[in-house]
Amino acid sequence: MNSSPTLPILEGRHLQKTYELGRASVPVLHDASLEVAQGEWVTILGSSGSGKSTMLHLLGGLDRPDEGGGDVMFKGSSVWTQSNRFINQYRNREIGFVFQFYHLLPELTVIENTTLPSMIGRSIQSTLNAKERASVLLEQFGLGHRLNHRPRELSGGERQRVAIARALMNDPSVLLADEPTGNLDEETGNEILDVLQQLHQDGLSIVLVTHNIEIANRGDVVVHLRHGQIEHPATLA
Amino acid sequence: MYQTLLTTRYLTSRVIPFIAVAAVALCVALVIVVVSVMSGFLNMVQSSGKTLMGDVIITYGISGIPHYEKLIQHLNQDEDVLAATPVVDGWGLLRMPYPDSKAKQSETVQVWGIEPSSFAKVTSFDKSLQWTTPTDNQRDWLLLDAITANQNSLQESMDEQQWNLFVVLVNNASHAMNLEPVSLWSDVQDLLNEEQWNTLLEIDERLTNPDAILQQGLSLSQNGTEGIVSGLHVSEGNERQKDGTYQVIRNDYWWLPRYEGTLTMLPVDSQGGIIEPESRILPFVNEFQSGVFMIDESRVFVPIGVAQELLHLDRAEIIDVDDPTVVVGVDPARVTSVLVGGANGITAEALQEKVISMYDEFVAQLPNDEIVLPPTRSDPGLTIHTWEEQQRRFTGPIEKERELMRTLFSIVYLVVAALILSIFWSIVYEKTRDIGILRSIGASRGSIVWIFLQYSLIIGVIGSGVGLLLGWLITKNINAIHEAMGNPPLGLAIGVFIIAACIAMYTASKLRYRTMLPVVLGSLGFITFCGIGALILFIRHIGGLVIWDASVYYFSIIPNELDWPSSIVTVCGAVLFCLLGAVIPAAKAADTDPVRALRHE
Repeated sequence: MNSSPTLPILEGRHLQKTYELGRASVPVLHDASLEVAQGEWVTILGSSGSGKSTMLHLLGGLDRPDEGGGDVMFKGSSVWTQSNRFINQYRNREIGFVFQFYHLLPELTVIENTTLPSMIGRSIQSTLNAKERASVLLEQFGLGHRLNHRPRELSGGERQRVAIARALMNDPSVLLADEPTGNLDEETGNEILDVLQQLHQDGLSIVLVTHNIEIANRGDVVVHLRHGQIEHPATLA
Repeated sequence: MYQTLLTTRYLTSRVIPFIAVAAVALCVALVIVVVSVMSGFLNMVQSSGKTLMGDVIITYGISGIPHYEKLIQHLNQDEDVLAATPVVDGWGLLRMPYPDSKAKQSETVQVWGIEPSSFAKVTSFDKSLQWTTPTDNQRDWLLLDAITANQNSLQESMDEQQWNLFVVLVNNASHAMNLEPVSLWSDVQDLLNEEQWNTLLEIDERLTNPDAILQQGLSLSQNGTEGIVSGLHVSEGNERQKDGTYQVIRNDYWWLPRYEGTLTMLPVDSQGGIIEPESRILPFVNEFQSGVFMIDESRVFVPIGVAQELLHLDRAEIIDVDDPTVVVGVDPARVTSVLVGGANGITAEALQEKVISMYDEFVAQLPNDEIVLPPTRSDPGLTIHTWEEQQRRFTGPIEKERELMRTLFSIVYLVVAALILSIFWSIVYEKTRDIGILRSIGASRGSIVWIFLQYSLIIGVIGSGVGLLLGWLITKNINAIHEAMGNPPLGLAIGVFIIAACIAMYTASKLRYRTMLPVVLGSLGFITFCGIGALILFIRHIGGLVIWDASVYYFSIIPNELDWPSSIVTVCGAVLFCLLGAVIPAAKAADTDPVRALRHE
């Protein structure tokens, strides 16, 4: 994709994040900026501990940048200056998170885990619609026979597909994936990446974080995160 | 909505909520049982003051109230007065018929001279009588006494052969009866002809009339002579069994007690000086049990005339100081107290006010020319008290104890609260990662707190509901439980040892898997059940335990009424503590950085 739209859908501006570990302050991000265009797949490549997960959390409204440490713009408007209520809704409707360790609720079944974002958002869809949508999504990911299973009864790949279905439940604008294949073997990992690829082709914007160069090559844009900063220009594979 | 789903799932797919429910239930049951028994006990102590006392008591202990008949007549005219009855109250020595040797034992007793019929109206005297229909064994003893007392006339009615057989029969029986029941009744009936038998039965009314014992107790008389009704614990012949019933020692030998007692009292003169002691020999006609140990061990009832005579409170002529042959007037009979029972549900306090004004009217109405006048209310020796005031010295320390108990129990409540808090703390802590996940998909802090609020509310309501039920069951059956604990059946011990053996076998079968938990649990279970079994055997070996000792706690049964107000407070408190216990850690968890919560393992 060479044509870049006028307004990026998601933008991190001069993000700065410091963690307090006891008395020591550990700076993780330092003036990190990133733009994600509509329909673009951006991969953030970085070594372990480089702050790539933190970058994703800041973008997804899950972790707050330092005071005066930049802002996240969603469709051109500020996220972190808004109320908690707005940020909750932002996470619920506009962002879909996929984590390395799936993070499904063990007490809920596959279909319940998937419907959860819709129930939390009390979205326009009624419960019935939500269930229907969840089954369609799960069916699409080859989990039609697993709807009433508990996460512990699924394989890693299946769990991650449930997590992706959950992330897509409220039809988000951006999917944020944090090492989605980090806990899977190569074959299963590739299956998951194929799923993401398909979603991308259907027009979903994706930000993926990884330390694996091979995986990074799947995206449109690859940026490196080093010393708390995004290194531009990124090279296309 | 998703909160309800999560709450239900958290509740049904884990063990810890069941532990929490059990903990809450046990705490609630514990508090309910202890508070119920304690306040039941205190209520019993307080209301026991009312036992055999009535609602309002007029007392003039120094020299008694003269013209009391007029006072009672006046009191009875009021519609709020159920009845009023005179009492002569004093201390005395009662020489008991036992032991068998010549030197007899004496008991210090509180003597109440009463008018039985009106006394029964004011108090529940009639219901407190212990003996009604005699058992076959008791009837045999009565028959033996009748034979012994009338052996001369019996001998006259028999030929020598019959008499010899009769003497052998009766002598053998009188020895054997100390140990076990014999068939004296039918043996004697077989030996005697019908005329002899009927003559013998006529000697003692109690032999033929099954109600005679009760009637004699109610009238304080036996065959026209006055008698004593003594408290059940006055006589050493009555032994309290572990189940709360009474048995008379030596196979009913000392029943009633047998034979007569000698009652000695010290009269005082009008200046309060002591005159020569007075004595009367009186048969024991019945015994009473008020349920209050302190009353049952010291009080005896005699007809009011007897007590008046012994204390010189009876009617007397007043003679001229200079010429003893000239009678100048009459000193009327006196009583030390008048007990008043209320009617129409009037409170003791309201009745007290009425009685005070009626007493004033009684004093005012007496003719001016009476030589002997009752004390006026300005006399400090005269008191008109409610039963509560009268018993204050007795109940005062116990009220203090109740306050102490309440204070101690507020500490118990705190312990319960801390327990619930720590359980919920661990539940919420365990769910920290879930909270992070929910936050990452847009759940607000408030909605997460609400999940745990619902969760704890359900645990609190179910737990305290179960606890209330458990507490109710235990309290209702506490006497049976106490009895079973004091005298556990052998089958229980065997059952417990079988369980211990099963656990031991199960544990042994798990040993080869080299896992620690089954071995630890199995060993603990084995030790626990063996310990319980050994304890049961030990209790049986020492002949049972009495935890609730009537002589210590005043009452023969453990109170088994649920204290509803305290129980409801406890239940509400438990639910509240559950809410608090969950909402604090939940709020803390909801405030945790979602990223940190997600990393939580």
